[in-house]
Amino acid sequence: MLKVNAITVKNLIKTYRVAEKSPGVLGSIKSLVRRKYRDVLAVNDISFNVEEGELVGFIGPNGAGKTTTLKCLSGLLYPTSGEVSVLNHKPWERKTQFLKSIAFVMGQKNQLWWDLPPMETFLLNKEIYDIDGANFQETIKELSSLLEIGNILLTPVKKLSLGQRMKCELVAALVHRPKVLFLDEPTIGLDVVIQKNLREFIKTYNQKYQSTIILTSHYMRDVEALARRVIIIDGGKIIFDGLLETLVKKYAPYKLISLILKKEVDVQKLKKLGIIKSYNYPQAVLSVESRETNKVVTEILKNLPVDDINVQEADIEDVIRHVFQNKK
Amino acid sequence: MKKYWLIIKNTWSETLTYRLNFVMWRIRVVVQFLTIYFLWLAVLPPNTNFGPYDQKLILTYILGAWFVGAIVFSTRTADIGEAINSGDVSNTLIKPVNFFLYWFSRDLGDKAMNIMFSVVEITLVFLILEPSVFIQTQITFFALAILSIILAVIIYFFISTILGFLGFWTPETWAPRFILFILVGFIAGEIFPLDILPSGVMKFLQFSPFTYLIYFPVKVYLGQLSYPQILGGLTIALAWTILFYLFTKLVWRFGLRFYAAQGR
Repeated sequence: MLKVNAITVKNLIKTYRVAEKSPGVLGSIKSLVRRKYRDVLAVNDISFNVEEGELVGFIGPNGAGKTTTLKCLSGLLYPTSGEVSVLNHKPWERKTQFLKSIAFVMGQKNQLWWDLPPMETFLLNKEIYDIDGANFQETIKELSSLLEIGNILLTPVKKLSLGQRMKCELVAALVHRPKVLFLDEPTIGLDVVIQKNLREFIKTYNQKYQSTIILTSHYMRDVEALARRVIIIDGGKIIFDGLLETLVKKYAPYKLISLILKKEVDVQKLKKLGIIKSYNYPQAVLSVESRETNKVVTEILKNLPVDDINVQEADIEDVIRHVFQNKK
Repeated sequence: MKKYWLIIKNTWSETLTYRLNFVMWRIRVVVQFLTIYFLWLAVLPPNTNFGPYDQKLILTYILGAWFVGAIVFSTRTADIGEAINSGDVSNTLIKPVNFFLYWFSRDLGDKAMNIMFSVVEITLVFLILEPSVFIQTQITFFALAILSIILAVIIYFFISTILGFLGFWTPETWAPRFILFILVGFIAGEIFPLDILPSGVMKFLQFSPFTYLIYFPVKVYLGQLSYPQILGGLTIALAWTILFYLFTKLVWRFGLRFYAAQGR
């Protein structure tokens, strides 16, 4: 099957003008009379493509330029320079046809009408996106049962918990079944169970409707569970773009070797092989430098009474941390 | 266009959830009105004249100004500046919704609520104070008054929206709005009819957009303007409407380029 690019970004640059103000009352007065501006380079010459139906994870520390990139892609911001094309539209023209095929969910900003039940927002979106009645009913029924929120659709939003609200936000954004979906920190501040719930939902949605999704998250678990491909941004630049496995292979500083021992072994003996993560006889977990793994495994098999041995990849969070540290 | 109807409806229900807030706001308006009302009652005893006004006409003017004010000045556009600064405006921008129609619909929802309340209040004033007022019986003046109120609503919508757009450049969007309130209080004719001012001032004010927010519609209702005067006034009001429309669009276009979609 021929893959088509849903999103193309070429040499995108975005700078902000920020007013500077010295602290204190005097500073305020000074800035009233004469305001100093400073240009901040939020996105610095990035290029990437996303295929139709692909789910890509955007990773980076705060202020890396993730959200700015999403804002450029969704048409909220004019790029300073470079080319952006989403479904063959220039996003910032904000043509109706373009707006009808995208959605942008922001973990920290809601579109739901605060004082009204979520259903009112859904109904309004139904009209905004010209969805016919039958389709609308079906979508709401399906999405709300997947997210288990069927019983709160008529409760005012302000009375819902953060998790319930986020679920409703997702439904509101998906009423029109967008072809391209931008998710900016959709799981922020939510508990682990709901995070998992949302993750599964996003995965199902992506597979079922073949929608293109870009997701940013601080929680590596989100990215790990959802995206095969990740783009890592730092300081407005892309520092990695590829499969998650490749990232781990390339940058993983260590691997984990877990052992089941037949006989108890002296701790000192294990210490020589690597860093002991845990040792509760008969189980032991060792952390070993990636390139040493083969050597250590051979040594273990030769010298220790093992019942079972298992090599695991490093924790993804550690890998990412390692990537950022190496860069600096 | 059903979407805009739903926005009107939602705004209406939203206001209902803050009933107490709204009632307090209306009480403030009523007290303000009563102050002006009794002031004029004291200044103009029965059978005295002040310019073209006797007591009956001035009380009608004040009542009319109150009612027109409830229609023209009730707006949600005062929130635009904050919505821009907080980034909430993004929610409207990423949807296939016309930004201006969205906010105008919110205004209509808000106005509907304000009109409903002021009708009740005016009825109460009539029942309790029993003022003698002038009832316009000529349907033409009535219709022209409604037309001029519609223009007033649109002009005020644009003025208030432009002030909100200042949010693109500065977080301090309320300072200019206070100046607007002062201007409106003084030269829109909310407190006194503008034609009691020296005629030189009045000549100048007839070209100001504020004159057409309150003073002009009420004057048309009172039937105190000749048809050429009404036509002239409507022309100036229409010119301001078009001018403000173009200016709003222009500021919007520049503002969007400046927009940083903050807060996320």
